Amino acid sequence: MENNMFKLTKKLQTIGFAMVAIGLLALAYGFIAGLGGDRIIANLHLNGFYFMSLGLIGMFFVAVHAIAESGWQVSMQRVGEAMSYFIPVGGIIMLLVFLFGGMHHLFEWTDEAHLDRILLGKVAYLNQPFFYIRFAVFFAGWILLAWMIRKTSRELDINGDKKYFNKLRKYSAFYVVFLAITSVISSWDWLMSIDAHWFSTLYGWYVFSSMLVTGFSVIVIFTFVLKKMGYMQHVNDEHIHDMAKYMFGLSIFWAYLWFSQYMLIWYANIPEETIYFYERLKYFDTIFYMNLIVNFAIPFLLLMTRNSKRVFWVVVPVAVIIFIGHWIDLYQLIMPGAVGHEAAGIGFLEIGLTIGFIGLFMLVTFYGLSKAPLVPKNHPFYEESLHYHTNY
Amino acid sequence: MYVSPIREPLIRGEKNYSQVTKDILAPMAGKPSKYWYMGMTLSSAALVFGAWATFMTIYYGIGTWGLNKTVGWGWGITNFVWWVGIGHAGTFISAILLLFRQKWRTSINRSAEAMTLIAIACAGFFPLIHMGRLLLGFFIFPYPNTRELWVNFNSPLLWDVFAISTYFLVSLIFWYVGLIPDLGTVRDKAKTKIRKAIYGFLSFGWTGSVKQWSRHETVSLILAGLAAPLVLSVHTIVSFDFATSVIPGWHTTIFPPYFVSGAVFSGFAMVLTLLIVARKALNLEEYITVNHIESMNKVIILTGSIVGIAYITEFFMAWYSGVEYEQYAFLNRAFGPYAWAYWIMMTCNVVTPQLFWFKKIRTSLVATFIISIFVNIGMWFERFVIVVTSLHRDYLPSSWVMYSPSLVEVGLYVGTLGLFFTLFLLFIRVFPVIAIAEVKSVLKSSGDHKKTAHHE
Amino acid sequence: MNNSYITAYYYDEEELLEGIRQIKEKGVEILDVMTPFPVHGLDKAIGLRRSRLTRVAFWGGTIGALIGFLFQAWVFTQAYVINFGGKPFFAVPSFMPVTFEMAVLFSAFSMVLAFLIYFKLGPGAKPIIYDERSTDDRFLLIVKAGDADETKNIEKALSQAGAEGIKHKA
Repeated sequence: MENNMFKLTKKLQTIGFAMVAIGLLALAYGFIAGLGGDRIIANLHLNGFYFMSLGLIGMFFVAVHAIAESGWQVSMQRVGEAMSYFIPVGGIIMLLVFLFGGMHHLFEWTDEAHLDRILLGKVAYLNQPFFYIRFAVFFAGWILLAWMIRKTSRELDINGDKKYFNKLRKYSAFYVVFLAITSVISSWDWLMSIDAHWFSTLYGWYVFSSMLVTGFSVIVIFTFVLKKMGYMQHVNDEHIHDMAKYMFGLSIFWAYLWFSQYMLIWYANIPEETIYFYERLKYFDTIFYMNLIVNFAIPFLLLMTRNSKRVFWVVVPVAVIIFIGHWIDLYQLIMPGAVGHEAAGIGFLEIGLTIGFIGLFMLVTFYGLSKAPLVPKNHPFYEESLHYHTNY
Repeated sequence: MYVSPIREPLIRGEKNYSQVTKDILAPMAGKPSKYWYMGMTLSSAALVFGAWATFMTIYYGIGTWGLNKTVGWGWGITNFVWWVGIGHAGTFISAILLLFRQKWRTSINRSAEAMTLIAIACAGFFPLIHMGRLLLGFFIFPYPNTRELWVNFNSPLLWDVFAISTYFLVSLIFWYVGLIPDLGTVRDKAKTKIRKAIYGFLSFGWTGSVKQWSRHETVSLILAGLAAPLVLSVHTIVSFDFATSVIPGWHTTIFPPYFVSGAVFSGFAMVLTLLIVARKALNLEEYITVNHIESMNKVIILTGSIVGIAYITEFFMAWYSGVEYEQYAFLNRAFGPYAWAYWIMMTCNVVTPQLFWFKKIRTSLVATFIISIFVNIGMWFERFVIVVTSLHRDYLPSSWVMYSPSLVEVGLYVGTLGLFFTLFLLFIRVFPVIAIAEVKSVLKSSGDHKKTAHHE
Repeated sequence: MNNSYITAYYYDEEELLEGIRQIKEKGVEILDVMTPFPVHGLDKAIGLRRSRLTRVAFWGGTIGALIGFLFQAWVFTQAYVINFGGKPFFAVPSFMPVTFEMAVLFSAFSMVLAFLIYFKLGPGAKPIIYDERSTDDRFLLIVKAGDADETKNIEKALSQAGAEGIKHKA
């Protein structure tokens, strides 16, 4: 009988805290080496948002499958639930960054004395009080709904009553609708307004698709780690096959949105819009092309055949590549506007800080995993998930 | 395969395999009903009206339309986009729902795919007729002509040629490959010699051997895998027709995914409109159950909400962009002379589908039918709003005009509606409306009995 | 060469799978199985290998994409160079839609044609139909017969395995 309760061992804690220490070290290095407030703040903002969004997608994974009434994912859904514990943690980090210099370093529209005609026109939306109100609404909704879904999911696990299943579906629907709206608006607030003059209607969905594919990849990575530790042995190549299909499909979807946005701006050739890609192509060209290769070409080629989608040793490395790739994607969204091509770079600050955040995210997720049985045995679709076959 | 006991059965009436065959083949046998003839008369009448309008357009030219110098695209392009959109449901159901392994698709995919093919034929008619000189239509294909000039690969209108023809051809083989086994069944069940010969010819010599089935499944799956991005690409490319321009209200990056979502939205609405009637008329209520309708309604909420978010995003971004032309275009849409069209669009596409959040409404056939009609209307107006309100007041106020369609334009639209229903009515007489083999393959796991009884 | 065979049928796909397992144990050679719909697990029970049609689709798609892309590139940079709205002649983003459509078109058609040609399926093909009910509700099993004694044994094995309508055809 395998162990259904995950235990956060001393060893894991040590690893996690060591990684966080590396992160703090990198931060200290950033200050000592005089890398500048812009770059340090932008990095904190990048990682805070990146890992917080993984938490959002973890819960999205649970919610969207609950609404679709699919069964196969039930044996993995605790991973998604555990990831959502990071939403408040990431929220606090983001808030601290904004409160302590972030607004000034990240967003030129906060410099109220020097607004030009275009930015003056946006003041009704881009002003600090309203910004913080939106911030509060987003996080209040996300945290509350994620908490309610986790609670209902656990109640369902205890007595398996259909009543709780229906309740789970209801909360999940709320969460998905709320996230659909807020993920778009929050991406305008936290990412698009860094380049305050620029605008693109597709932006919110582009960011969301990037979050989505990364979040699903991280679920795969966690499942693999848990399996290596001896938990969740029932997760087999059938489940991994479906996750790999998601990674494959969503990578294509991301590339599709990338192309749509880029091509339309390139084609219409309006200076107000092309300036955005002009900057990135001129000064961040390596990052710009790497973004496409890592996030589209690699998953597309490696996950194309059926066999490769069923092997942990292909899917997990691709998941790691996607994880790194979308960090790069976010980097090219934030850095050109927030730091500029002269001061931006990838060094110990960027890498060390990201390792620190990975450590923190791991600790929080493992903590979340230890709070509930790893497998919801009384979930009405649990049996389906065990006897699950994908033919193709 | 294990199926959780809390799942609702998809096929009612404790069917066994031979009953499934019998029930689904029933509408093809015997004489058509009175309602069929009534439907046929109505749609042929519409078709005749369309034929007159086509004649007028070709004989006298595009001058018979209500277009003018400012509004160069009117009903024609509106109808084109509307029909292409409707054509998205079939492939969406067959391809994307197949990849997601949604079993409920098996009862509706065949007719939805047929609908797709017919809708694309209707759509393709509009660009062709808008050329004015129909006989020179082949100019749009890249062929080595006497002037050594090739087509313009930079033009989204040319991408459309490739997208629409690829979509039609791939949908056609997808549909037909799926039909082959069922045509084999029709052949083996045929009572007369002629019928047997015809369906024997059409069924391509299908036997249903284990290897045929195995490879047939592979082919269907890969075609689904190809059709899924294809279906996205088609409406994406249609949206490029507008979005690559610099016209306020057209040039916006959200268009590709938003058009795709809108297309699936309108396609599902049309499938619902047709199937709610067809299931009753053809006695297929045990195959296309309220569960199927409910599932489709959920897709309607999903895609309708995405469209809603896109409308709001566009409106917000027009203001946020600080581009005054963009801002004016949207204010003009909502409060200008065509505001009525805008608000019809908003009501039909954003407000009414939200009623499906209530289980009572989503499982009511009457309500679903009414809302599906609303969505069809709303999605037509969406295209009308995009095309006409963006064009009729352009950068130069001196050339601002109004646009209204001529009788010929109305005739062309009504004509394609006639064509659509005529072909659909023929389809239900000639081919099995439900994928027989596919329904049989889910019968055990999703029928309302757990064991198929022996008979004879 | 002995061309005679025995046909028998089942009413249920699970009984069919179980029956196949039983008669295979007895060393009966199965020639073919005709079913009204694809039975899950039957290809494994018969020992079919995985389809290679996926490769046809892949190479078809690759060729289609290459033709699409290279043709456009040739037209715009070699055959007839025209400036369209100040765009570069080698306008990669502009080439993508047609390239993609060509890839899908070639992929789909090459695979379906390969499928039809392999099974010799096509308009007017004349198949051998062993039992017309196998496209309706019978799961038809065709096994190889031997000489008189062997045939008897096979028939017995079939009936023990729950098959019905056992018929021997020379």
